[in-house]
Amino acid sequence: MKPYLTYLSKRLLQFAVVVFVGINIAYVVTHSTPINPVEQTISAATAYGSTSPEAIEMMRRSLSELYGLEGSPWQQYLSFWQRVLVGDFGPSLSAFPTPVSELILRALPWTVGLLLVSTLLTWFLGNLLGGLAGYYRENRVLRAFGVVTAGLHPVPYYVVAFVMLLAFGYLWPILPISGGASMAADRTDVVGFALDVVIHSILPVLSLMAAGIGGWFMGMRSLVSNIVTEDYVTYAELAGVRRGKILRHYVMRNAIGPQVTGLALQLGAIFNGAIITEQVFGYPGIGSLLISAVHAGDYSLVLGITTISILGVSTMVLLIDLLYPLIDPRVEAA
Amino acid sequence: MHMLRMLSLASGLLLGASGLTLQAETAFAQVTVPGVPRSQTIILENPEGTIKNPGWFNIWTLNAGGQFTGLHQLALDTLWYIDPERGLDGPWENSLASEKPIYNSDFTEMTVKLKSDIYWSDGVAFTADDVVYTVESQIKNPGMRWSALLSLNVERVSAPDAHTVHFKLKKPNSRFHALFTVRFNAIWIMPKHVFEKAGDPLKFDFNPPVSLGAYKLHSFDPNGKWYIWQKRDDWQRTTLGRYGEPGPTYAAYVDPGPPDKRVIAQLNHNLDVVHDIAPEGMFTLTKQSDSLKTWFKNFPFAHPDPTLPSVIFNMQNPAFQNRDVRWALAMLIDIKAVSMAAYRGAATLSPIAIPPTGTHPEDYHVPLRDWLASFELDTGKRKIRPYDPTIGAQIADMLRPSMGDQIPTDPAEIDRAFGYGWWKADPQAAAELLQKAGFTKRGNSWYMPDGKPFSVKVMVEGETRPILTRAGTMIVQQWRQFGIDAKTEVAQGTMLDRRNTGDFEILISWSVETYGGHPDLSFFLDSWHSQFVAPAGKTQSPRNWQRWASPELDRIIEAVRRIDFDDPRTVELGREYVKLMVREMPIIPLMAYNVFTAMDETYWTGYPTAEDPYANPVPNWGNSRAMMVRLKPTGK
Repeated sequence: MKPYLTYLSKRLLQFAVVVFVGINIAYVVTHSTPINPVEQTISAATAYGSTSPEAIEMMRRSLSELYGLEGSPWQQYLSFWQRVLVGDFGPSLSAFPTPVSELILRALPWTVGLLLVSTLLTWFLGNLLGGLAGYYRENRVLRAFGVVTAGLHPVPYYVVAFVMLLAFGYLWPILPISGGASMAADRTDVVGFALDVVIHSILPVLSLMAAGIGGWFMGMRSLVSNIVTEDYVTYAELAGVRRGKILRHYVMRNAIGPQVTGLALQLGAIFNGAIITEQVFGYPGIGSLLISAVHAGDYSLVLGITTISILGVSTMVLLIDLLYPLIDPRVEAA
Repeated sequence: MHMLRMLSLASGLLLGASGLTLQAETAFAQVTVPGVPRSQTIILENPEGTIKNPGWFNIWTLNAGGQFTGLHQLALDTLWYIDPERGLDGPWENSLASEKPIYNSDFTEMTVKLKSDIYWSDGVAFTADDVVYTVESQIKNPGMRWSALLSLNVERVSAPDAHTVHFKLKKPNSRFHALFTVRFNAIWIMPKHVFEKAGDPLKFDFNPPVSLGAYKLHSFDPNGKWYIWQKRDDWQRTTLGRYGEPGPTYAAYVDPGPPDKRVIAQLNHNLDVVHDIAPEGMFTLTKQSDSLKTWFKNFPFAHPDPTLPSVIFNMQNPAFQNRDVRWALAMLIDIKAVSMAAYRGAATLSPIAIPPTGTHPEDYHVPLRDWLASFELDTGKRKIRPYDPTIGAQIADMLRPSMGDQIPTDPAEIDRAFGYGWWKADPQAAAELLQKAGFTKRGNSWYMPDGKPFSVKVMVEGETRPILTRAGTMIVQQWRQFGIDAKTEVAQGTMLDRRNTGDFEILISWSVETYGGHPDLSFFLDSWHSQFVAPAGKTQSPRNWQRWASPELDRIIEAVRRIDFDDPRTVELGREYVKLMVREMPIIPLMAYNVFTAMDETYWTGYPTAEDPYANPVPNWGNSRAMMVRLKPTGK
């Protein structure tokens, strides 16, 4: 038990250092942006209307004060950490005075819902089919699937997404092409609303699956192809163990380790959002929020999203490190 | 094989989901809220996209929530409007005011007479107290949107009676009323009875908003994708009521996504008014939609906004301080190629620094044609007349083989569609002008008087503004062919900051924006006075991005300040400005900012067009509210 506790404490320390360094890098990068939020706000507010240069000068002073951009860089940095430690990222500069946390909490469920489902489905189907293809190498359906995914894999995601958009939004318009739910959805009807959300997520989920399944499929097929040549597999076959059992317990179990690590990293990255997906399908989520924050120079919001993302990825890596011994008996904590 | 059976099950589930979507097809086509029939709803694009903070309707704070969600078009109101086109009853509209602004002789006081029988949507009467409250509360709270403008101008505001407001100004300002005059927007009037109970106006979300316009909020998407406004039962008690009953019972402002999705949505009849798309998107719609309505019936289809994309020189850069150099660069532009590159030919050109839209052609472009034709440029070796009034006709001829009947043949229509001529591309004259300025050519390259290569960087915005980026790229190519070391710089998100701080040599953007429906140019020109030009390296305030200081221009601006808004001399002074700009060329005007607004007639007819220009069709403009009273349902 003691070696495991030592490992755990070292790993937790490492986690804290990674998070601290990551957030600091994000702070420096966002504060080095040449985009000034005050100028962005003023430009947006005065782009079309009557204005005067003297008034603009007054607005600059008021906004700098309002946004808390006054004070030395050191004071701003300390104030940032004081807020972050209590989970407060301050007000959004592009939706002032709404708190950053409120904007993130509003967008996060959509992104997490979309990416969790698509990532898990893609991972499950890709590995299942890849494992089967690696083991049943003569199966024609699986070989054909391998050809299709190998062909689809190098196609850029946005091309896949636009083709699906045109196919199912225009040529055969059976799926909604925009938004997370329809205007017609009655949010008080929980079942009806959930069904509406599911229907709206089909096209983005399918596009993510089409673009992502090839990687898992080919990776798993390759791992299984190597494992089936191992002596213990040959021995099991000679011993008359059922092929299904060999596949599940002797082959897949040994091949799944690297794929689980990959899954953990992808699940952590969910908090980054799916920027292209959200843009192409007009899906509400953290990716679109991040893009609009970057364009507006809203570094409070960018930092809030980045911090959540750093925490997400780091936590998932930590969890997988701690859980690995349970998945792969060959790995010991010490 | 157990796993293969699992796979079959998974496939079955997926097919089942497909079945669900097929069932949902009919409902999907009718994208409205329960109780909001599609046949009574007009769906318009909100170009702001998804609103981050959808429940925030307090427009008097700075950019905290959406503005073009229907909020400033349909729910708010102010004293006056100027339509960039002809308007429902002329471009000038007394809205909450019952008559034009009344100034004293030295423009230090302004009196406003208000309409009676105008009511907020909660039944409270609109009075002068609302106007006074709007002004005073913004002056008291420096973080509010129009606080600075009002603080600088207003010494005192009072309401002598329920329908009169009196402003005492801190200094003479003959254009003070412009703050309350909608071109795109203006200072909207606040409901005193709501805000005075709300506490800190900077922290009040104004949700649900109380309307002064003919529509009130029906519902909105908590994720900020759409807003639906409902016609008020008492629409007669609003300022729009005098033009008749608005056609649509409901108006939905939505975020339809990227341009290709807007095209798909309109072809599926799920988006009645597309705010703007690329020319290619519009050409697709003209080919595939049989219910499309556009501003121009034929090519170039788009609505020319009263905004003037131009080549903007940074006049604080020593390389551009000689007007011969600026004119030489203008002479190297083949505007036909620029028009084709930027707008696929669908550009409305302007040789003068005024957009060719609204009533401006009658006030400026047509009357100045003779002056332009006789305008001479001294190249140092000869005098040339650079103006070519036939450029529009030449572009029309170029397009006719591919666009056929869509290209107009009537000369007057060609002028309105393609603009009022431009400058002849004349590389020989450009070479002579550069030599006159002390430049030399060695080999294929030009050198400045100090012996350094003549290199220029042209800043463009990038993919966020593709039309102007294409124009800038073509101009750079033309300059390079002549032997100038020209390069394109893509600024993307840093565009505003670099423009404001003068961190550019040449910029493709606009510094000229006008009313469109009124000849007065003070809307942009007043800020061009040399008193507002920032020193190099300091932040420049809108809109003199070229940082040009000219005593002659100052004289014109000061003369405009001394006369009334409607004084006929505003046109004379405007023409003086045009002539000065032609001589000095601190910006090279290119074309109107053509907005490809696409309107679908499946559910609604009566949209504004160039033939019936009663309003600007671009749906994020405040004055697009005028459309509502002319739209008629088709009955579908």
